[in-house]
Amino acid sequence: MRRHRVLPYLLVAPTLCFVAVFTLLPLGEVLVGSLFKQKLNIPKYQHPVFNGLGTFADLFGDPDFLQVLANTGIYVLVLIPLLLIVALGLAFLVEAKLKGLAFFRLSIFHPTVLPMVSAATVWMFFLTPGYGLWNQALRILGYTGPQNWVGNPSLALFSLILVAFWKNVGFLMLFFLAGLQGMDRSVVEAARLDGAAGLRMVTRVILPLIRRQTLFVTTIAFISAFQTVDHLFVLTQGGPSGRSTLLLYYLWEVRFDRMDIGRADAVTVIMIAVLLAFTISNFLMSERNEK
Amino acid sequence: MKRLAIVCSLLILGFAAVFAAPPVEISLAYPVAVDAPITAMLKGWAQDYMTQNPGVKVTLVFSGGYPDVKTAVQTAIQGGAKAPTLAVMLATDVYDLVNAKYVDSLDALVAQAPGGQAFVKDFLPAYMGNSTYKGKLWSLPFQRSAVVLYYNADLFAAAKLQPPKSWDEMGRDAQALTVDGGKTRWGIEIPTENPYWTFQPLAIGAGKNVYTDDVTVNFNAPEVIDAVQFYLDLSQKYKATPAGVQSSWGSSTQNFAAGKTAMIIHTTGSLAGILKSAQFKVGVMAVPGRKAGSLASVTGGGNLYLTAGHSPEEQKAAFAFAQFLLDPARVAQFSQATGYIPNRLSAGKTAAFKAWLDKVPQAADAVAALAAAQPELATQNLNGVKTIFNKYLQSAFNGSQSPKEAMDAAQKESDKALDDYR
Repeated sequence: MRRHRVLPYLLVAPTLCFVAVFTLLPLGEVLVGSLFKQKLNIPKYQHPVFNGLGTFADLFGDPDFLQVLANTGIYVLVLIPLLLIVALGLAFLVEAKLKGLAFFRLSIFHPTVLPMVSAATVWMFFLTPGYGLWNQALRILGYTGPQNWVGNPSLALFSLILVAFWKNVGFLMLFFLAGLQGMDRSVVEAARLDGAAGLRMVTRVILPLIRRQTLFVTTIAFISAFQTVDHLFVLTQGGPSGRSTLLLYYLWEVRFDRMDIGRADAVTVIMIAVLLAFTISNFLMSERNEK
Repeated sequence: MKRLAIVCSLLILGFAAVFAAPPVEISLAYPVAVDAPITAMLKGWAQDYMTQNPGVKVTLVFSGGYPDVKTAVQTAIQGGAKAPTLAVMLATDVYDLVNAKYVDSLDALVAQAPGGQAFVKDFLPAYMGNSTYKGKLWSLPFQRSAVVLYYNADLFAAAKLQPPKSWDEMGRDAQALTVDGGKTRWGIEIPTENPYWTFQPLAIGAGKNVYTDDVTVNFNAPEVIDAVQFYLDLSQKYKATPAGVQSSWGSSTQNFAAGKTAMIIHTTGSLAGILKSAQFKVGVMAVPGRKAGSLASVTGGGNLYLTAGHSPEEQKAAFAFAQFLLDPARVAQFSQATGYIPNRLSAGKTAAFKAWLDKVPQAADAVAALAAAQPELATQNLNGVKTIFNKYLQSAFNGSQSPKEAMDAAQKESDKALDDYR
């Protein structure tokens, strides 16, 4: 009896050790680090000096950081709904019985296999001022407006959203497609016999049936929106005037460019808090739905 | 007896194999994002060095751009691992690297090495400005460049124009060479996605560099504000360049080589690439200043640093390898392949380099531009200051703020960012 109490703990011990060493310990270090002022490139702050919550106060009083938060908020709030809606729409389309279906599926999915740096490089060419493909395409539609996408303060962030959208929509479509193909057809047929069709069928029948996929897709889309930073390095470097700096890029800048460890730790804490809040609320929501 | 002798010899050989000194291992981190066959050249040189020095093993680490190399060095040292022994990082990063104790001084190695003092004295003085700090030597000029004006000499000749001698001439020439409001051709392009560097020749040409020393910046000096206004004039008054911030570091050289732009302000590091693809006579000169006849340029590029945390043997081997890499013949070869200006006086005097200059006069023009060059922005807390300056320059270029408003704000914020060092 006693042995059975110990055995489960022994079995999870390797995982626990792994999580402790690679997740909890660094998390603890970052939490403690965020309470200290330490800038490696300033002799007097070479060694940590206790600063309490001063770094957080500095951050939230810094217009540049508030701009970063606003940029990240816009990026996430525009990108994720856009990704979810279009990925679901595409999943419906490629699930339909069309001629040349494999070609359409491949066309939509192929950006997924490109590394983000390559995708961003392709888009750098598309977004070239003047003769770039994106401008040429818009010109056919009669558009003569702004040409310089990544240099324009109002369009730089949108350019990043565009690239991330193009890169990820096919990947997310795949999960929706799996959901659609795996759902219980008899429920859909029954609904159809009862007169459900169009939008009503989608919102009342299909979406509840693929609820789990939707939750999963939302979670990975959200986390990836925070994690992706490569396209910033290639396309905008956070500019112009910080108008396209996202949280992770800012973190890299603060830590490695400005060597400000205290601030980098504080930004990490904020980022973890946001991700944790989202993950927990998502988890609770899925638990409630399961009940 | 014979058997004993054989056994003894085998034992001696065995001991020799076991106890022979292992090779000293050194490595060089190099930012490979340069449009030239540098990778193959460096690999060849490392191989040559190892053949000549069997006791040393050289590993080359190629990683992206300057920030990547700096990040790699930082993560290695902070994580308690060994950083690449030598690293090519921005010459201007010296203050941050020294303050953070990421690099070691070269003084003792120069003193020990045969011909060390003479070796160091042979570097161009213009390029040694970023190598010393706190009275010590920290790095050696490696791939150094300068910002110059490239112009399409054929277009100038066809329009019966002379290369510009002042801002006004540059603006008017650019205007004259703009075709169809820029749809067919712009008069001039200046990449401004990371604007401080390409902007510096304009400020210097107005009469003031953007900084004086490691804790003093001149962002709101009237001359600097005038230079911002001149950048705006190029699009607003002369209608000769696209308006606003231009993310065109890569595309402007292609546009120039394709004849879609008559002039660009760019690095000498792009010379080889431009000459290779342009089908017209390429002119190279320092950027004209405000006053007629005045010229301006700014230095740039990377230096070779010795990172912290290596044994005396590794340091010695690394310095010897650095001397090997910076041998005049190799420096001349490197310059020919890339367009980087030879950083050693003796390299410019080699017969092969002189012959090349005769063949490619633009390279001589690029070297000549260095006479008008002032140093690249290099301050304490450099990336903090650069971010601020870039932010406000772009804000002015995009018309979000007036040049004076933007530069006053840049000065105020930068002064704050430098407070800790005063």
